[in-house]
Amino acid sequence: MEPLLAIQDLHAEYRTGRSVAHALNGVTLSIMPGEAFGLVGETGAGKTTTALCTMRLMPRDVGRITKGSVRFDGQTIVDMSKAKKRLVGKPKVPGLSEAKLTDLRGKEIAMIFQNPLTSLNPVYTIKDQIGLVYNAHEHLSKKDTRDKVAEILKTVGILPERMDDYPHQFSGGMRQRVGIAAAMALNPKLLIADEPTTALDVTIQAQILELMKKLQHQNASSLLMITHNLGIIAELCQRVAVMYAGTIVEMGAVRDVFTNPAHPYTVGLLGAIPSLTTKSDRLSYIPGNVVNSSMIPSGCPFHPRCAHCTEQCRKEQPPVTAVSAGHYAACWKGGHIDG
Amino acid sequence: MANETRAPLMEIRHLKEYFAIPNKGMLHAVDDISFTVNEGETLGLVGESGCGKSTVGNVVVRLLNPTDGEVLYRGENVFDAQKARSFELRKKIQLIFQDPYSSLNPSKTVYQTLAEAYLVHGEKRGPALDEKIRKLVARAGLEDYVLEKYPHELDGGRRQLVGIARCLSLDPEFIVCDEPVSALDVSIQAKIINLLMDMQKELGISYLFISHDLSVVKHISHRIAVMYLGQIVEIADKDEIFDNTLHPYSIALLSAVPKLEFDKASTRIVLKGDVPSPINPGEGCRFAQRCWMAREACAKSCPALQEVGPNHFVACHYYQESQARCAELLREQANGQKEESV
Amino acid sequence: MSRQELLRRMRKNKFFVIGSVMLVILLFFIFIGPLLVPFEATSVDLVSRLTPPQWFASNEDGSPSHILGTDGVGQDILVRLMDGGKISLMIGIVSVIIPMIFGTIMGMMAGYYGGKVDLIIMRINEVMLSMPQMMMAIAIMAVLGANVYNLILVQCLLGWMSYCRIIRGNVLSLRNSEFIKASTLLGSGGGRILFREILPNCVTPIIINASQQIGQIILTEASLSFLGCGVPPTIPTWGLMISEGRSYITYAPWTVIAPGLALMFTVLTFSSLGDGIRDVLDPKNKD
Repeated sequence: MEPLLAIQDLHAEYRTGRSVAHALNGVTLSIMPGEAFGLVGETGAGKTTTALCTMRLMPRDVGRITKGSVRFDGQTIVDMSKAKKRLVGKPKVPGLSEAKLTDLRGKEIAMIFQNPLTSLNPVYTIKDQIGLVYNAHEHLSKKDTRDKVAEILKTVGILPERMDDYPHQFSGGMRQRVGIAAAMALNPKLLIADEPTTALDVTIQAQILELMKKLQHQNASSLLMITHNLGIIAELCQRVAVMYAGTIVEMGAVRDVFTNPAHPYTVGLLGAIPSLTTKSDRLSYIPGNVVNSSMIPSGCPFHPRCAHCTEQCRKEQPPVTAVSAGHYAACWKGGHIDG
Repeated sequence: MANETRAPLMEIRHLKEYFAIPNKGMLHAVDDISFTVNEGETLGLVGESGCGKSTVGNVVVRLLNPTDGEVLYRGENVFDAQKARSFELRKKIQLIFQDPYSSLNPSKTVYQTLAEAYLVHGEKRGPALDEKIRKLVARAGLEDYVLEKYPHELDGGRRQLVGIARCLSLDPEFIVCDEPVSALDVSIQAKIINLLMDMQKELGISYLFISHDLSVVKHISHRIAVMYLGQIVEIADKDEIFDNTLHPYSIALLSAVPKLEFDKASTRIVLKGDVPSPINPGEGCRFAQRCWMAREACAKSCPALQEVGPNHFVACHYYQESQARCAELLREQANGQKEESV
Repeated sequence: MSRQELLRRMRKNKFFVIGSVMLVILLFFIFIGPLLVPFEATSVDLVSRLTPPQWFASNEDGSPSHILGTDGVGQDILVRLMDGGKISLMIGIVSVIIPMIFGTIMGMMAGYYGGKVDLIIMRINEVMLSMPQMMMAIAIMAVLGANVYNLILVQCLLGWMSYCRIIRGNVLSLRNSEFIKASTLLGSGGGRILFREILPNCVTPIIINASQQIGQIILTEASLSFLGCGVPPTIPTWGLMISEGRSYITYAPWTVIAPGLALMFTVLTFSSLGDGIRDVLDPKNKD
């Protein structure tokens, strides 16, 4: 089966003034149709940048893709290997035209944002904001739009009577439902959710997770779930990729990765989370700090924090090797670490 | 002393904190809360945003004056203390803030920040002070070089450690931790939690640990209190509250946390709707609107905390039924899902 | 910040270096200069009135020449510029510092204590701001009489409002920040919090405002003197010189250009120095 989304060796950077932040340093992943894929990592690991690159939405002045390709459903969104050098001005991004991309966004790929407060425009009613999606892609009449909006609001659990209300009249959880409604309006093939529940309370988070589970099941769409919460991944996704310093350090089926982690970073991450179900006296933690993307260490980017670091780790970047079927890790030890 | 039962280190009695909201009424942020914290103990305070848990913390450290009620430190009401005594009490009761960014003065170096407490309490500048500050920094697990740094030059984890060092500078006996790790990355979080637990072991400090993260609270606390809309709905020893949860809100809250578990049937009870407004709450149980086992009586009278087991208090009219009802509900849910998939 | 660090930052900052060099030149010009020029600021010499500038040329009879020319009554412009600079600078600096301190304290009190204190201070502030500044200055000077002290008094009366407003805004946003709460918890009182915690965070806006004000104040002094209600004509100030020179501007422009350039130089010096100090003292500024 062809993957719905295929990202190949993607590199991206942000330039501000004199400093360059290497946000992505060779990300390769693919998402199958109907699959829920999780992307975990800490602040600055490059999770959000991966999502933005997928929709070619990097902030125009500072961010750019430097290498690699993104293919979605048979179309090339970006392919830097076809980039031509231009003497004057910024190089044109090779791939889909901006007009086609605009059509793709919202219709085939949709996104749910972290902050339900800022992702909705405060001066438009809910009907207008969701209706916008229909207007842009389907040119419906006013009445049809109203009907459609009412329908989608019902599926996310909001009374259709409230469609003429403004965002500030909704609570945080309700706003996130509106965000989900807008994203799901045209039944996209891929839904990208960037920390959709981080700003919400636990009981509201549970509501949203249940809703997303239901919708993904009903619509058979693919999901790219970005979060730092491993529990959400375990609950929602089939496969997971663990990101560190702009690279994927481990990838595989959620159960394999979480019960049998191969990369020391994943091991550390799992050990650092206090568990609700088991008892432990002391948490293990990863020494050192989250990597600074403008000063990425040589060799394996994790080596300064790694307890199993060798000379080889300091010098050479480890290749991605298979730990078991469908379970990969980028570590010189290849998953054979003790403890 | 030998024959007396020892008074708890901190006792909060019938604490109320109301805020007047113009044209709307009274916001009952904290409504008649009582609890105690013993020496060397950690009491976890969990609840969702707006339930009043941070307000409790702010009153205990005297950043806010309570509308009503008492805060007793070793039996002494901290709000009745005279000026000099009140100044002394500041040393004993400290607070660790949530946001390691806004809790440090951006125009001061770490050294200046840490020296402040000593200078306020009458110490003189000099080598003796330098030595004390160096010890403090080492105690918090920080390197010496951070002393010359400004907060913006440090990462979030180090800043939070500076905040903890500042807290320790006056040898407090009681520390309110207001979501001390929720702004930090997971790998840093663990380091801070370990430090707090080590400090307790070595220095015998008591904590009021406020958090919305149940797994962190479970890890660090000895006893846990669950708050909902300004009231404590359940309070018990850690193991008791996790193994024998009785209040319907606590049950739902625990079930809502996404867990790293596989091969288990869903045990989640999803609450309907949002947390209602704490402005002019009605007569009945605060949780009745969202409760999955509410009955008519719940809307009429507000249940008081009652002791249902050793050290286990619950505020619910029907707590005896909650576990049976929960099992029933989960069975129904499971059946419903089976039918759907068929 | 340690002393070495401070010095290193000063050396590395372009604005600060340029500003300081300009300030040294200015001070040298004002204080050492008069010793090198063989004229008195108030020696009238009607014979050589409106002499054009004589660049480095000495007179045939060996008498010293007027490098920047003379004014309408034959006074040497260069020496008057130097002497007048003393007064202008003194007025400028004093009338910046006093309102700066007063306005800052008022702003801190209004912001920190709020309530009635805030209400009263801000109403006075608004009343002062709503009156036309120049009219007020003229009126006050006319009532009190034109002399240097009254001029400074007027500048102070009219100059503190901007500091007050800026600082109040800053304090309001800082007042509820967690590091202030932390300081309270350590036992700090109101004064300590205001001066040790809040004030250092207000330094940047204060300096920016002050460096803009010093030029403004020298210009106001010039305008008032120009209108005849500044300092008395016996004391040379730059404003007065421009005012006197205006009648000859068409055929003896040097009478106006020289003090005008001096004024411009001074304003540039202080704004450059202000930018420099701001960058040097701001720990967030790296280079």
